[in-house]
Amino acid sequence: MSNGRLYEWTKKIHMYSGLLTFTAFLIWGITGVHGVFLPSPGQYLPPPVSSVRELPFKTPGSLDDQQLAKAISDVIAVPLAGGRYNIHRDSDSNLAFNIFTINGGREVTYLEQAGIVRVAHRANSLLSYLSSMHTAHSRRHRLTAYVIAWGYFNEFSTWAFLFMTGSGLYMWLATRPRLRWAQLSLLASAAFTLALWLSIR
Amino acid sequence: MFRLMRNIHLGLGLIFVLMALVFALSSLVIIYRPYLNTKPTDIELTVPLSAQATPRDAARQLMSAHALKGELRQIQEKGDTVRFRIVRPGENAEVVYTPSTGEAKIKMRRHGALETLVQLHTNHGLWHDYLPSNLWAALSLLASIGLLLLGATGIYLWFAHHHERLIGTILLSSGLLFGLTTLYLTRLQQ
Repeated sequence: MSNGRLYEWTKKIHMYSGLLTFTAFLIWGITGVHGVFLPSPGQYLPPPVSSVRELPFKTPGSLDDQQLAKAISDVIAVPLAGGRYNIHRDSDSNLAFNIFTINGGREVTYLEQAGIVRVAHRANSLLSYLSSMHTAHSRRHRLTAYVIAWGYFNEFSTWAFLFMTGSGLYMWLATRPRLRWAQLSLLASAAFTLALWLSIR
Repeated sequence: MFRLMRNIHLGLGLIFVLMALVFALSSLVIIYRPYLNTKPTDIELTVPLSAQATPRDAARQLMSAHALKGELRQIQEKGDTVRFRIVRPGENAEVVYTPSTGEAKIKMRRHGALETLVQLHTNHGLWHDYLPSNLWAALSLLASIGLLLLGATGIYLWFAHHHERLIGTILLSSGLLFGLTTLYLTRLQQ
């Protein structure tokens, strides 16, 4: 393939990749800006409780807390449930635990005497939701067909992003390598990024 | 206008090329971690510090005399010992300091370049006590804005290629329709 044809095809694929994966870049850009302004772990406040529902539930009697938490999780069937954590007894000795979901966590309390499971939903913001979704890939968040489809799209976009970084450099070097301001931009940013890398290593 | 947009696209691309590589490669490390060797190196050592130091003083001594770098986190006093961590992207030191003797036991976990890239990717917030972590976060902010501008200028440059408008419209609308639909339908599953 001649240099001219290689350049033309690289440019075409660069452009097509960018157009096809534009949605992912948009989400990554927004998530990246949002991430910088997140509070430190010590200052994080969960979102307020947005809804509470109660369901009747009878304990089989022979289950320990871990098994009971699983049995309750199966019954309450929280959409997009990503796992149980913090299984403990609250101040009234009720079994309590949390369930992570992409759309905001659930706080589950089993009021054993009354035979009721209380599920409090802390719906997250759209930005927090997008932040969770930007981490999806072919093996992460395999919850529903929609999330899996997004995960594959996100992963494909990552490869496309890597390709566009390389092809963009190639197209610069193939057309305008002697552009002084471009050389200086690359040099300055590379020097700063490398210096920062070395400072933490 | 086309020339200006092309130069902005090129300039942004060159300014953020290394950050783009950091984000792209670290994402691939996250995705393909099971197939990669990202095991950290663990080192344990015991060092003498001055006795009866506060946790902050003990951490400062470790930083100045024992080459630990990073920010001080999670101070926990229990009995006659104090536990804390000194953390920076790529390295995590867990310290158990005994004020009565001045002895500090350190469990140091050092990650390789690949895992360090991941930690830089997830290093967010401008609240760090460790300056390089804040600088990385600031650079991430600029790179994220740069990504959005690269997308916007890229759209303009594509649209200026008249013979590419049809196929480009199909690709752009397919990506938008697919991405936004899956995101919207997932958001509905409350």
